[in-house]
Amino acid sequence: MVNLTIDGKQVTVSKDATIYEAAKQAGIYIPVLCYAKKLLPYGACRVCLVEVEQMKGRLIPSCTTPVTEGMVVTTMSDEIRKVRKTVLEFLLVNHVVDCPVCDKGGECDLQELTYEYEVVTNRFEGEKFDLPTDEVNPLIERNMNRCVLCGKCVRVCDEIVGYGSYSFINRGFETKIATAFDRGLNCEFCGQCVSMCPVGAILPRPFKFKARPWQLKEVDTVCGYCGNGCTITLGTKDNEVQTIRFNDETGVNDGNLCIRGRFGYSYVNSADKLTSPMVRRDGQLVEASWDEAIQAVSDGFKAAGDSLGIISGARLTNEELFLLKNYSKALGTENLDHSGGECYKGVTEGLQETLGIKASTATFPQVEKCDAILSIRSDFYETHPVFGMVVNQAIRRNEAKLTVVADKLGKFTKLPNARTLLHKPALELNIINAICSVLLEEGLAKTDGLEGLDDLKKGLKKFTAKAVAKETGVDEEAIKQTARELAAAENAAILLAYGLPYTAYSKELGIAAANLSLLTGIAGRQGSGLYLCGEKANSQGAIDLGILPGAKGIGAQQMLDDASTGKLKALYMVGEDPIASYPNRGMVEKAMDNAFLVVQDLFLTETAAKADVVLPAVSFAEKDGTFTNAERRIQKVRKGIKSKGDAKSDFEILQLLLSAAGKDAPATTTDAFAALTAETSGYEGITLDMLGKQGYVWGTDILKPVTSKLVAVGGGEASKSKYQLLVGSALYHSGTVSTKAKGPNAVVSEAYIEVCREDAAELKLEEGDLLKLKAEGGELKAKVKVDRRLPQGVMFAPYHFSAMELNRVYTGQPVIAVEPVK
Amino acid sequence: MFKAFAKGLSITLKYLAPGNTTTVQYPKERCEIAPRFRGQHRLVPTTDREKCVACYLCPTVCPAKCITVESAENEKGEKYPKVYEIDMLRCIFCGYCVEACPIEAIEMTDKYELANYKREQFIFDKERLLKS
Repeated sequence: MVNLTIDGKQVTVSKDATIYEAAKQAGIYIPVLCYAKKLLPYGACRVCLVEVEQMKGRLIPSCTTPVTEGMVVTTMSDEIRKVRKTVLEFLLVNHVVDCPVCDKGGECDLQELTYEYEVVTNRFEGEKFDLPTDEVNPLIERNMNRCVLCGKCVRVCDEIVGYGSYSFINRGFETKIATAFDRGLNCEFCGQCVSMCPVGAILPRPFKFKARPWQLKEVDTVCGYCGNGCTITLGTKDNEVQTIRFNDETGVNDGNLCIRGRFGYSYVNSADKLTSPMVRRDGQLVEASWDEAIQAVSDGFKAAGDSLGIISGARLTNEELFLLKNYSKALGTENLDHSGGECYKGVTEGLQETLGIKASTATFPQVEKCDAILSIRSDFYETHPVFGMVVNQAIRRNEAKLTVVADKLGKFTKLPNARTLLHKPALELNIINAICSVLLEEGLAKTDGLEGLDDLKKGLKKFTAKAVAKETGVDEEAIKQTARELAAAENAAILLAYGLPYTAYSKELGIAAANLSLLTGIAGRQGSGLYLCGEKANSQGAIDLGILPGAKGIGAQQMLDDASTGKLKALYMVGEDPIASYPNRGMVEKAMDNAFLVVQDLFLTETAAKADVVLPAVSFAEKDGTFTNAERRIQKVRKGIKSKGDAKSDFEILQLLLSAAGKDAPATTTDAFAALTAETSGYEGITLDMLGKQGYVWGTDILKPVTSKLVAVGGGEASKSKYQLLVGSALYHSGTVSTKAKGPNAVVSEAYIEVCREDAAELKLEEGDLLKLKAEGGELKAKVKVDRRLPQGVMFAPYHFSAMELNRVYTGQPVIAVEPVK
Repeated sequence: MFKAFAKGLSITLKYLAPGNTTTVQYPKERCEIAPRFRGQHRLVPTTDREKCVACYLCPTVCPAKCITVESAENEKGEKYPKVYEIDMLRCIFCGYCVEACPIEAIEMTDKYELANYKREQFIFDKERLLKS
């Protein structure tokens, strides 16, 4: 710690702090333009100049100068005021003063400083910039005439996002921020630059001219898309979510968001949302009152008796899931499940069998301090983009060694020093097994107190690094190196994402990852962790609250199967659109046709169109409650706008259903939270007051494994087909809801099949051509996207778009053998 | 006493004399309007559109909350007021909107005859404000 004096105030700060940070800690205000908490010090704007007793004769930039013992700092004097004012005058020489039409007006740092330092005249003359604005893309608008060259956009895109869209070009007065070849911006549109820009040079285009900052009401809530659980701040006006505001005070995402979180909000305001319950009469869905609809549901479920299945989505709040669980008990069925059933089994069965827990063992911020990271299967920059940014931080700030086990390249593989174990599709299990076997062979494994070691050794016999390297096409030495790094690292992390498009080997992968975490000692060690991250906002909550088949119950796939053959008479879908997103569409459609179907959703989805009763629900922005994210952090979801029409939150609907079934329901979400914490293991004693700005992590930062059991798992089997199709999720979308949002749709609005350059050349395909693929079970048709990230023979299709009917051929297999049709 | 009585009456008589009366025979006669009189508002037009750029400063500063602005983007990509309405029944004619306007797009005219038969007719929309 270092002691210094700022404006006569004694301050003690850590030795790596800068003067600016020390002043901020002491509550002393120093103006800044180019400083941002999460970025490295830069010193571009010269607004934060201060006087330091020991460095007399010149002014010192406080944001780049580290503190030293005994430093005496003055943050304001006549000279400082004069110099700062001069800096602002320089900036205003070129800056166009179009504040009346600039959307930043009212929250612009330059505007505020100009006001504070009373820069009413300018001693300098110069030409105002007259550069063309970049309005090519639909999401981010750049007006370089307003730029003050603070470099925040350049730095955030490089340091945090790891994309590197921007750079400074030209010299002197001509300097400006530009993209490659100074073309229009064409990136992944996460909008981090928008959130960082201190002036109106980079603005969100969907919000253009919509409102002034001071007119917006800000509501802190949690993003409703992926399991990362980023906190977002809704800017609402006229009962609509107008924009997502920058906020780095709440949550653990430091204000970082991806395209979905920042631009994917428009479905909340959509006019297509259901506003009234509907009941099928004479084969037609007609609008009905709530009483009629609830009566119809109760009658239908009563007729079905215990031949009833309930499938829920993982975007309901914990309180709603709690009520749903109670409702299933009231109906006397144990056929309860969520998210397609298969994909989460790595957590509920895999981790349960090995570690005795059903959640990730550590929290996200710990990953930043890791030395070695192993990412399995999914590219987190695509499934959980903000977690991807955390990994990027670990690499850049902590020189972490990242190993990616993947069947295709991605943004992770492009990170500095990332090692990619690019394997043939469906063989990730084999590689993890090989890493385990290297650990055991080289005596690196920490085997003390582990059960089942002999069985594992036996099971791993055929997974020697050499054999697996040959089988998967991965370099043998790379596998060995990965094992050594993981074993040697003081802090290490193993990451695995799960979700609807990744149902194959889900349990086995969970077990294999757990084995590896036990052998390396990662599970339960301070600073290290095994992360199994769910696809949806409350995937972890659904598991915690037990939205799972009971002892006598059946899972989602079995329910649909049974319903399709008429064995199951009624289905209740809460926030799920299985026809669009579940594997094996043909079977799902049959199930929906046969059963008495109740659908509770935001939109009239394809599943809802087949329903007997449709109950209109509301989005995350219209309800109160809590979400539990993939690191077990419980965070508050807050209501930003009122629901439109007759739509009710899932909580209110379930209250009605419960009272129709003659049961009591908690009156408010607060009551429900109190009730659920009492019944949910791990949640005991948690109250809503404990969920502060950073939420509350149940089971503490490090969740210690209950058991340490190694379980041998077999390997995957590669497909021999020349062309193979992988199913997965794409960066711009999350589930099927994002396809109803304008932002993500503006970038990717329809299904595509990604093909590598070599295959494209061989098949004589060009970007945008229609490609037909024949597979077992049907044909696929979509536009081609030519890319460089896929190995030869491997194609990729995202599962979000129902129109492509990908799930006619995708039935849960790890890889689909396909054949292009000429 | 009589002296004081005469003095008082002389003032009265003085104002009775022609040219000294304060009563104006409205509507045949009209008062002279002071140059800074705050009457009905007017939006300043330019050649092809209104001068207003919908910066929302006037509705923000308005103490009576009688101004409604809705901004939008026109074909040229400029910001313009899609809706600009003043509710004259609520307006207190304080002139803050004129003072707040950064580009002098709103003025106050010398019109003060604002009586009307229906409430709706007191809501002045953009076209009406531009013409006045």
